[in-house]
Amino acid sequence: MLVEFEVIKRAQAGDAPAFNEIVLAYRKRTLGTIARLISRPEDVEDVGQEVFLRLYFSLDQLRTAEVFEPWLYRLTVNAAYDYLRKHRRRMESRMSDLSEQQVMLADAMAGGRVDHDVRQRKQISEAVDAMLSQVSEADRILLTLKEVEGLSLKELEKIYRVKENALKVRLFRARQRVLKAFGEENREPSTKGAAKAEI
Amino acid sequence: MNWTFKGDENEALDALFRAYREACPDPEASANFMPELWRRIDERQRSVFFMGRWARALVTAAAVLSMGMAAYLYIPRGHRSVFSVESYVEALSAGHSQDADLPEPALDEL
Repeated sequence: MLVEFEVIKRAQAGDAPAFNEIVLAYRKRTLGTIARLISRPEDVEDVGQEVFLRLYFSLDQLRTAEVFEPWLYRLTVNAAYDYLRKHRRRMESRMSDLSEQQVMLADAMAGGRVDHDVRQRKQISEAVDAMLSQVSEADRILLTLKEVEGLSLKELEKIYRVKENALKVRLFRARQRVLKAFGEENREPSTKGAAKAEI
Repeated sequence: MNWTFKGDENEALDALFRAYREACPDPEASANFMPELWRRIDERQRSVFFMGRWARALVTAAAVLSMGMAAYLYIPRGHRSVFSVESYVEALSAGHSQDADLPEPALDEL
Protein backbone atom coordinates (compact mmCIF):
# COMPACT_ATOMS: atom_id res chain seq x y z
CA MET A 1 0.00 0.00 0.00
CA LEU A 2 1.28 3.45 -0.90
CA VAL A 3 -0.94 5.08 1.73
CA GLU A 4 -2.02 4.10 5.24
CA PHE A 5 -5.53 2.76 5.65
CA GLU A 6 -6.05 5.57 8.13
CA VAL A 7 -5.75 8.04 5.24
CA ILE A 8 -8.33 6.10 3.26
CA LYS A 9 -10.65 6.15 6.27
CA ARG A 10 -10.28 9.92 6.52
CA ALA A 11 -11.01 10.24 2.81
CA GLN A 12 -14.09 8.05 3.30
CA ALA A 13 -15.25 10.53 5.93
CA GLY A 14 -15.01 13.32 3.34
CA ASP A 15 -11.55 14.68 4.20
CA ALA A 16 -10.38 16.33 0.95
CA PRO A 17 -6.66 16.51 1.88
CA ALA A 18 -6.72 12.78 2.61
CA PHE A 19 -8.26 12.11 -0.78
CA ASN A 20 -5.60 14.31 -2.39
CA GLU A 21 -2.96 12.25 -0.63
CA ILE A 22 -4.39 9.05 -2.11
CA VAL A 23 -4.52 10.56 -5.59
CA LEU A 24 -0.96 11.84 -5.36
CA ALA A 25 0.28 8.45 -4.14
CA TYR A 26 -1.38 6.42 -6.90
CA ARG A 27 -1.59 8.92 -9.73
CA LYS A 28 1.64 8.13 -11.55
CA ARG A 29 1.17 4.38 -11.42
CA THR A 30 -2.46 4.65 -12.48
CA LEU A 31 -1.64 6.96 -15.37
CA GLY A 32 1.09 4.54 -16.48
CA THR A 33 -1.33 1.63 -16.47
CA ILE A 34 -3.91 3.66 -18.40
CA ALA A 35 -1.28 4.79 -20.90
CA ARG A 36 -0.37 1.19 -21.67
CA LEU A 37 -4.00 0.07 -21.74
CA ILE A 38 -5.39 2.71 -24.08
CA SER A 39 -2.31 3.82 -26.03
CA ARG A 40 -3.60 7.36 -26.52
CA PRO A 41 -1.27 9.71 -24.63
CA GLU A 42 -3.55 12.70 -25.16
CA ASP A 43 -6.44 10.97 -23.36
CA VAL A 44 -4.53 9.41 -20.46
CA GLU A 45 -5.20 12.25 -18.01
CA ASP A 46 -8.86 12.35 -18.88
CA VAL A 47 -9.27 8.62 -18.19
CA GLY A 48 -7.11 8.98 -15.07
CA GLN A 49 -9.41 11.68 -13.74
CA GLU A 50 -12.37 9.47 -14.46
CA VAL A 51 -10.74 6.69 -12.40
CA PHE A 52 -10.19 8.96 -9.39
CA LEU A 53 -13.66 10.45 -9.83
CA ARG A 54 -15.14 6.96 -9.57
CA LEU A 55 -12.87 6.28 -6.62
CA TYR A 56 -14.14 9.39 -4.85
CA PHE A 57 -17.79 8.42 -5.23
CA SER A 58 -17.34 4.77 -4.33
CA LEU A 59 -14.78 5.08 -1.55
CA ASP A 60 -17.40 4.60 1.13
CA GLN A 61 -17.98 1.04 -0.09
CA LEU A 62 -14.43 0.02 0.80
CA ARG A 63 -14.27 -2.01 4.01
CA THR A 64 -10.75 -3.44 4.27
CA ALA A 65 -7.31 -2.10 3.44
CA GLU A 66 -6.06 -5.12 1.53
CA VAL A 67 -8.67 -4.81 -1.22
CA PHE A 68 -7.90 -1.15 -1.94
CA GLU A 69 -5.25 -1.69 -4.60
CA PRO A 70 -7.07 -4.45 -6.52
CA TRP A 71 -10.14 -2.27 -6.31
CA LEU A 72 -8.31 0.74 -7.74
CA TYR A 73 -7.02 -1.53 -10.51
CA ARG A 74 -10.58 -2.62 -11.19
CA LEU A 75 -11.71 0.99 -11.47
CA THR A 76 -8.77 1.63 -13.81
CA VAL A 77 -9.59 -1.38 -15.94
CA ASN A 78 -13.26 -0.44 -16.13
CA ALA A 79 -12.50 3.14 -17.11
CA ALA A 80 -10.01 1.96 -19.74
CA TYR A 81 -12.50 -0.59 -21.00
CA ASP A 82 -15.21 2.08 -21.33
CA TYR A 83 -12.76 4.33 -23.17
CA LEU A 84 -11.66 1.57 -25.55
CA ARG A 85 -15.23 0.61 -26.36
CA LYS A 86 -16.10 4.22 -27.05
CA HIS A 87 -13.08 4.67 -29.31
CA ARG A 88 -13.13 1.28 -30.99
CA ARG A 89 -13.74 2.72 -34.43
CA ARG A 90 -10.67 4.90 -34.16
CA MET A 91 -8.61 1.92 -33.06
CA GLU A 92 -9.85 -0.20 -35.94
CA SER A 93 -8.77 2.40 -38.42
CA ARG A 94 -5.23 1.91 -37.17
CA MET A 95 -5.24 -1.84 -37.80
CA SER A 96 -4.48 -1.33 -41.42
CA ASP A 97 -1.25 0.32 -40.37
CA LEU A 98 0.08 -2.84 -38.72
CA SER A 99 2.41 -3.88 -41.48
CA GLU A 100 3.77 -0.40 -41.59
CA GLN A 101 4.33 -0.48 -37.85
CA GLN A 102 6.17 -3.75 -38.17
CA VAL A 103 8.37 -2.29 -40.82
CA MET A 104 9.11 0.65 -38.58
CA LEU A 105 9.95 -1.65 -35.69
CA ALA A 106 12.32 -3.64 -37.84
CA ASP A 107 13.88 -0.46 -39.00
CA ALA A 108 14.27 0.70 -35.41
CA MET A 109 15.83 -2.55 -34.36
CA ALA A 110 18.26 -2.57 -37.22
CA GLY A 111 19.05 1.11 -37.07
CA GLY A 112 21.96 2.82 -35.37
CA ARG A 113 21.03 6.42 -35.57
CA VAL A 114 21.46 9.20 -33.03
CA ASP A 115 17.88 9.11 -31.77
CA HIS A 116 17.83 5.35 -31.87
CA ASP A 117 16.45 4.75 -28.38
CA VAL A 118 13.67 7.28 -28.59
CA ARG A 119 12.57 6.09 -31.98
CA GLN A 120 12.82 2.47 -30.97
CA ARG A 121 10.65 3.01 -27.90
CA LYS A 122 8.07 4.80 -29.98
CA GLN A 123 8.08 2.14 -32.62
CA ILE A 124 7.89 -0.77 -30.20
CA SER A 125 5.00 0.99 -28.53
CA GLU A 126 3.21 1.55 -31.82
CA ALA A 127 3.82 -1.99 -33.01
CA VAL A 128 2.43 -3.53 -29.80
CA ASP A 129 -0.53 -1.14 -29.86
CA ALA A 130 -1.28 -2.15 -33.42
CA MET A 131 -0.94 -5.84 -32.54
CA LEU A 132 -3.22 -5.53 -29.51
CA SER A 133 -5.74 -3.52 -31.47
CA GLN A 134 -6.50 -6.68 -33.41
CA VAL A 135 -7.96 -8.47 -30.39
CA SER A 136 -10.91 -7.55 -28.21
CA GLU A 137 -10.72 -4.90 -25.50
CA ALA A 138 -11.06 -7.64 -22.89
CA ASP A 139 -8.10 -9.59 -24.30
CA ARG A 140 -6.04 -6.45 -24.64
CA ILE A 141 -6.65 -5.39 -21.05
CA LEU A 142 -6.08 -8.83 -19.58
CA LEU A 143 -2.83 -9.33 -21.50
CA THR A 144 -1.59 -5.85 -20.66
CA LEU A 145 -2.26 -6.31 -16.96
CA LYS A 146 -0.56 -9.70 -16.88
CA GLU A 147 2.27 -9.35 -19.35
CA VAL A 148 3.04 -5.65 -19.32
CA GLU A 149 1.98 -4.50 -15.86
CA GLY A 150 3.33 -7.73 -14.43
CA LEU A 151 0.38 -8.47 -12.15
CA SER A 152 0.30 -11.93 -10.64
CA LEU A 153 -2.56 -14.36 -11.12
CA LYS A 154 -3.51 -13.80 -7.47
CA GLU A 155 -3.78 -10.07 -8.08
CA LEU A 156 -5.76 -10.64 -11.25
CA GLU A 157 -8.08 -12.96 -9.30
CA LYS A 158 -8.95 -10.08 -7.00
CA ILE A 159 -9.44 -7.66 -9.88
CA TYR A 160 -11.55 -9.92 -12.05
CA ARG A 161 -13.15 -11.89 -9.22
CA VAL A 162 -12.68 -15.17 -11.04
CA LYS A 163 -10.75 -18.32 -10.16
CA GLU A 164 -7.11 -18.73 -11.11
CA ASN A 165 -7.84 -21.59 -13.49
CA ALA A 166 -10.43 -19.58 -15.38
CA LEU A 167 -7.92 -16.74 -15.65
CA LYS A 168 -5.24 -19.08 -16.98
CA VAL A 169 -7.63 -20.28 -19.67
CA ARG A 170 -8.58 -16.72 -20.61
CA LEU A 171 -4.95 -15.67 -20.72
CA PHE A 172 -3.98 -18.63 -22.84
CA ARG A 173 -6.77 -17.92 -25.30
CA ALA A 174 -5.94 -14.22 -25.40
CA ARG A 175 -2.30 -15.02 -26.17
CA GLN A 176 -3.37 -17.45 -28.86
CA ARG A 177 -5.55 -14.82 -30.46
CA VAL A 178 -2.73 -12.28 -30.42
CA LEU A 179 -0.30 -14.77 -31.91
CA LYS A 180 -2.85 -15.82 -34.49
CA ALA A 181 -3.62 -12.23 -35.47
CA PHE A 182 0.07 -11.51 -35.64
CA GLY A 183 0.76 -14.65 -37.66
CA GLU A 184 -1.98 -13.84 -40.14
CA GLU A 185 -0.50 -10.43 -40.69
CA ASN A 186 2.90 -11.97 -41.28
CA ARG A 187 1.60 -14.60 -43.66
CA GLU A 188 0.16 -11.94 -45.94
CA PRO A 189 2.38 -11.45 -48.97
CA SER A 190 4.62 -8.54 -48.25
CA THR A 191 4.90 -5.93 -50.92
CA LYS A 192 7.27 -3.84 -48.91
CA GLY A 193 10.43 -5.86 -49.39
CA ALA A 194 12.03 -9.09 -48.37
CA ALA A 195 14.29 -8.20 -45.50
CA LYS A 196 13.30 -9.53 -42.10
CA ALA A 197 14.17 -8.35 -38.64
CA GLU A 198 14.14 -10.74 -35.74
CA ILE A 199 13.62 -10.43 -32.03
CA MET B 1 10.60 -5.17 -45.17
CA ASN B 2 8.92 -7.34 -42.58
CA TRP B 3 9.77 -8.78 -39.19
CA THR B 4 9.12 -12.10 -37.55
CA PHE B 5 9.52 -13.77 -34.20
CA LYS B 6 12.51 -16.06 -34.08
CA GLY B 7 12.14 -19.39 -32.30
CA ASP B 8 9.38 -19.89 -29.75
CA GLU B 9 6.54 -17.51 -30.48
CA ASN B 10 5.50 -17.30 -26.86
CA GLU B 11 8.95 -16.31 -25.69
CA ALA B 12 9.13 -13.73 -28.41
CA LEU B 13 5.77 -12.33 -27.39
CA ASP B 14 6.97 -12.11 -23.78
CA ALA B 15 10.08 -10.28 -24.96
CA LEU B 16 7.97 -7.89 -26.98
CA PHE B 17 5.73 -7.17 -24.01
CA ARG B 18 8.78 -6.55 -21.81
CA ALA B 19 10.17 -4.17 -24.39
CA TYR B 20 6.78 -2.46 -24.51
CA ARG B 21 6.80 -2.04 -20.72
CA GLU B 22 10.23 -0.43 -20.90
CA ALA B 23 9.22 1.71 -23.85
CA CYS B 24 6.19 3.11 -22.01
CA PRO B 25 7.23 4.51 -18.63
CA ASP B 26 4.64 5.95 -16.24
CA PRO B 27 3.83 9.48 -17.45
CA GLU B 28 3.87 12.51 -15.19
CA ALA B 29 0.57 14.24 -14.62
CA SER B 30 0.16 17.83 -15.75
CA ALA B 31 -0.20 20.68 -13.26
CA ASN B 32 -3.87 20.86 -14.19
CA PHE B 33 -4.62 17.31 -13.10
CA MET B 34 -5.78 17.97 -9.53
CA PRO B 35 -7.76 21.20 -10.20
CA GLU B 36 -9.53 19.50 -13.11
CA LEU B 37 -10.24 16.41 -10.99
CA TRP B 38 -11.81 18.52 -8.24
CA ARG B 39 -13.81 20.48 -10.79
CA ARG B 40 -15.24 17.21 -12.09
CA ILE B 41 -15.94 15.98 -8.57
CA ASP B 42 -17.81 19.21 -7.74
CA GLU B 43 -19.74 19.02 -10.98
CA ARG B 44 -20.77 15.42 -10.31
CA GLN B 45 -21.72 16.26 -6.74
CA ARG B 46 -23.96 19.07 -7.95
CA SER B 47 -25.68 16.85 -10.48
CA VAL B 48 -26.11 14.10 -7.86
CA PHE B 49 -27.56 16.69 -5.47
CA PHE B 50 -30.06 18.00 -8.03
CA MET B 51 -31.00 14.49 -9.10
CA GLY B 52 -31.57 13.63 -5.45
CA ARG B 53 -33.82 16.65 -5.03
CA TRP B 54 -35.76 15.74 -8.16
CA ALA B 55 -36.09 12.17 -6.99
CA ARG B 56 -37.37 13.28 -3.58
CA ALA B 57 -39.83 15.68 -5.20
CA LEU B 58 -41.08 12.94 -7.51
CA VAL B 59 -41.49 10.49 -4.64
CA THR B 60 -43.42 13.07 -2.63
CA ALA B 61 -45.66 13.90 -5.59
CA ALA B 62 -46.30 10.20 -6.22
CA ALA B 63 -47.16 9.64 -2.56
CA VAL B 64 -49.58 12.59 -2.52
CA LEU B 65 -51.18 11.40 -5.75
CA SER B 66 -51.55 7.87 -4.38
CA MET B 67 -53.17 9.15 -1.20
CA GLY B 68 -55.54 11.33 -3.24
CA MET B 69 -56.52 8.39 -5.42
CA ALA B 70 -57.03 6.21 -2.37
CA ALA B 71 -59.23 8.85 -0.75
CA TYR B 72 -61.21 9.23 -3.96
CA LEU B 73 -61.84 5.49 -4.17
CA TYR B 74 -62.59 4.80 -0.53
CA ILE B 75 -64.69 7.74 0.59
CA PRO B 76 -68.41 6.95 -0.09
CA ARG B 77 -70.08 9.37 -2.46
CA GLY B 78 -73.86 9.85 -1.86
CA HIS B 79 -75.66 6.57 -1.09
CA ARG B 80 -73.49 4.35 -3.20
CA SER B 81 -69.97 3.28 -2.77
CA VAL B 82 -67.85 1.73 -5.44
CA PHE B 83 -67.73 -1.29 -3.18
CA SER B 84 -71.13 -2.89 -2.58
CA VAL B 85 -71.98 -3.87 0.97
CA GLU B 86 -74.95 -5.97 -0.20
CA SER B 87 -74.81 -9.72 -0.17
CA TYR B 88 -75.02 -11.60 -3.45
CA VAL B 89 -78.65 -12.62 -2.79
CA GLU B 90 -79.62 -9.03 -1.99
CA ALA B 91 -78.02 -7.86 -5.18
CA LEU B 92 -79.87 -10.51 -7.19
CA SER B 93 -83.12 -9.62 -5.53
CA ALA B 94 -82.64 -5.95 -6.25
CA GLY B 95 -81.79 -6.76 -9.84
CA HIS B 96 -84.90 -8.91 -10.14
CA SER B 97 -87.17 -6.16 -8.81
CA GLN B 98 -85.65 -3.75 -11.29
CA ASP B 99 -86.34 -6.25 -14.08
CA ALA B 100 -89.97 -6.42 -12.94
CA ASP B 101 -90.36 -2.72 -13.58
CA LEU B 102 -89.41 -3.14 -17.21
CA PRO B 103 -92.32 -3.18 -19.65
CA GLU B 104 -93.02 -6.46 -21.43
CA PRO B 105 -91.71 -6.56 -24.96
CA ALA B 106 -94.37 -5.98 -27.56
CA LEU B 107 -94.43 -9.40 -29.18
CA ASP B 108 -96.61 -8.37 -32.07
CA GLU B 109 -93.93 -5.97 -33.22
CA LEU B 110 -91.29 -8.75 -33.58
